[in-house]
Amino acid sequence: MTAIADTRLLELSKLLPTFESIEKLLQNEVEARYILKSAAQLMGKLQVTANLGTDTEQVAYLIRALVEKYWERIHSGHFSKVPLTTRQIYALGCYYKIFFLLFEGTDPSHLDQCSAILDEAQLLGCTENLYEGSAVLQAALMQYLDAGLDQNLKTLPILPVLARRPCRCDIKQLDGPSISDFKEQCFQALQPALLLNTIDHWPARRKWRDLNYLMQVAGNRTVPIEIGSNYASDEWSQQLVKLRDFLHRQFAQSRADREIEYLAQHELFAQIPALKADICVPDYCSLGKKATSEVDIKAWLGPQGTISPLHYDPKHNLLCQVFGCKTIILAKPEDTENLYPHQSEFLGNTSQVDAVNLDQERFPLLEKVKFYNLVLQPGDCLYMPPKWWHYVRSETPSFSVSFWWE
Amino acid sequence: MRQWLFTGFNAFGQHAYKCADSEERHPLGFREITPPPTALSGNFLIALSWRYTAYALGSTIWLQGLLEEKVGECLQVQAPASIKALAAGETFCLVLLDDGSLHKLPAKLQATLQELRLEAVPATRPQKRNIFGQVKTEASGDAPIISHIACGTHINVAISERNGVWSIPSYLHQFPEPRAWRVQQLVCGHEHALLLNANGDVYGWGNGLRGQLGQATLRVEETPQLLESLAGVKITHIAAGGWHSAAISAFGDLYTWGFNCNGQLGLRVLKRDSVLKEPTVYPLPQLHDLPLCCSSGDKSSDQDSVDDNCPPVRVFAGSRHTWLLRRCGRLWASGWCAYGQLSLDCKQSYLDSFHNLYSVLGLEGDDVDILCGPWSTLLICSK
Repeated sequence: MTAIADTRLLELSKLLPTFESIEKLLQNEVEARYILKSAAQLMGKLQVTANLGTDTEQVAYLIRALVEKYWERIHSGHFSKVPLTTRQIYALGCYYKIFFLLFEGTDPSHLDQCSAILDEAQLLGCTENLYEGSAVLQAALMQYLDAGLDQNLKTLPILPVLARRPCRCDIKQLDGPSISDFKEQCFQALQPALLLNTIDHWPARRKWRDLNYLMQVAGNRTVPIEIGSNYASDEWSQQLVKLRDFLHRQFAQSRADREIEYLAQHELFAQIPALKADICVPDYCSLGKKATSEVDIKAWLGPQGTISPLHYDPKHNLLCQVFGCKTIILAKPEDTENLYPHQSEFLGNTSQVDAVNLDQERFPLLEKVKFYNLVLQPGDCLYMPPKWWHYVRSETPSFSVSFWWE
Repeated sequence: MRQWLFTGFNAFGQHAYKCADSEERHPLGFREITPPPTALSGNFLIALSWRYTAYALGSTIWLQGLLEEKVGECLQVQAPASIKALAAGETFCLVLLDDGSLHKLPAKLQATLQELRLEAVPATRPQKRNIFGQVKTEASGDAPIISHIACGTHINVAISERNGVWSIPSYLHQFPEPRAWRVQQLVCGHEHALLLNANGDVYGWGNGLRGQLGQATLRVEETPQLLESLAGVKITHIAAGGWHSAAISAFGDLYTWGFNCNGQLGLRVLKRDSVLKEPTVYPLPQLHDLPLCCSSGDKSSDQDSVDDNCPPVRVFAGSRHTWLLRRCGRLWASGWCAYGQLSLDCKQSYLDSFHNLYSVLGLEGDDVDILCGPWSTLLICSK
């Protein structure tokens, strides 16, 4: 028997569910039922005796196996079709796995591992409404782990304010248009436009250039990154990493010849409410069928040289530049057949053409395409109607926020 | 005499170790196991799922493992005829009888065999008629006679003696008539199926979004597609893991393709000197340059022949691991090993290149068989 001396940890473990409160979820899940029942009973005894029973090691082993098994299930078939129960059980398994790790030790390396597991519970699993009080556990655990990992080392650069420079812009520019102007000239006309001076009031514009700020509010969070400059290349891969490690690798002074990593198309603001408070959904997104709550907000953070190859998205898109510059090349939806989309299911919305290096011999129909060039500078927003093709390349370290809506 | 040597995940009492003297709950390395009816010996059929293992002898089936509430639960069921093949899915076991009828046995206590009714071959196929004009095909009311079965977590396949293919219970495809076209091997991953015919051609269908099907384009294939990139190479043995696949050619070449999240393809997971990952999906078959094996080849020979490097003869795959049997009897493996799948205690949780981890030297190739469970490996040796 091992006594648990850490009273805070003991308090936290009281927030874990009783078997009765999750039994319904586990009705048809033989292995999850067996394993989570053992785990819930073990934790129940812990609360009474403050001691870990002799079968702790075995239950911990089973919990790790459960998390791995459900990881396999989440990775089978389309993610969108994975049953909610599967993702909920994965998240429950992650909670127990964290406690068993913390019983082993609470040094920074254990805490680090645990905070990564907690993030995965949220990113891969489903943590909402698991049982009564699950949100309290989620928040308390995160606070406990982050407190142990607190780091205020100011070692990251504060990026310089870029002076505005005259740049090519082949599309309409509107200076802080009213909603009705935007509606008439862009939204209904289905015309792209560069919108100036519309996000100057965002706290993000001041705060995020100091990368130590991002580190402080989100350094411990796990985020998906893309490795390799371009997602359509064979060399490309994806990975979950700590935001802090990504920031250090990509923005510290000694970047040197590192591989390019890109935090792209990630719902960072759902994951980190503190950052959500630094931006606001532009009023323009209220045009359209659905409520503003149904706007998809994505973060795009990376060093100089990240490339999104020529592709299109199905929704209205407002791409807002918080810091840094991006070169953008656009083409009309009508030119789709001249842009040689890839054949595969994943890349069906992506062109095989390199928009900055047009190979007209290989792709003769390119001759018919009119491309629009522009540079997105800090504080600018680019509106793209649905299905407009766009190529994006960062010219400096860059942070953009995109809003997609229908 | 048969010997069953097991290594891997056995937390539900799926397998009983012969020497139970060990205090360890999760022994490492291959250990001899015994099928549930210890008094019987014979050529048991075995199929491994994650939480249970199915055994069959004659017309009796045993399922052992976690069936409902406890570890080591055992179900014994009598089939109406001799059992020809087993395929262990996540929640039920497919049972093929000698008479070609197909049944399913749910993995729970009190379960009984349920005969599966397969969809009739659609009438749109050209139908043979006898001299009286009556229709004479598989669809003439008789159930198809099934000869091969396999299953994964999201796929269940049956093939008839006449080369009809079912995605149980739906009719899927018709391969050419058996005179000219014979099924050699049928295997399934979590969500894809691979078939090898006697000509050495490989066909794949199901989910190919992680490169499982060996096609340049990642997509779901509803019906069997020839693996074009290996067409022209005579393949002699295939394997399907969770989301990966492997094949060995008559030249003694090994190819792997699909998902490499834990090194199951025998390919590097992380970039050199980095915490960043190499690409994890390999859609096209990757040819391996395997390390020297027994190096019994004549070094003085000026011929750099393939034979000098003991070729792989068979390949086997679990959810995230791969085993190779090389001609000399040495077993090589790569992939995830956190649960003892590879019989070793790794500090790392995976190996991302093939290593020689065991040998069955002295046994003829036919006397050795390997079954990979999702997270385990079973070595079957006959003497």
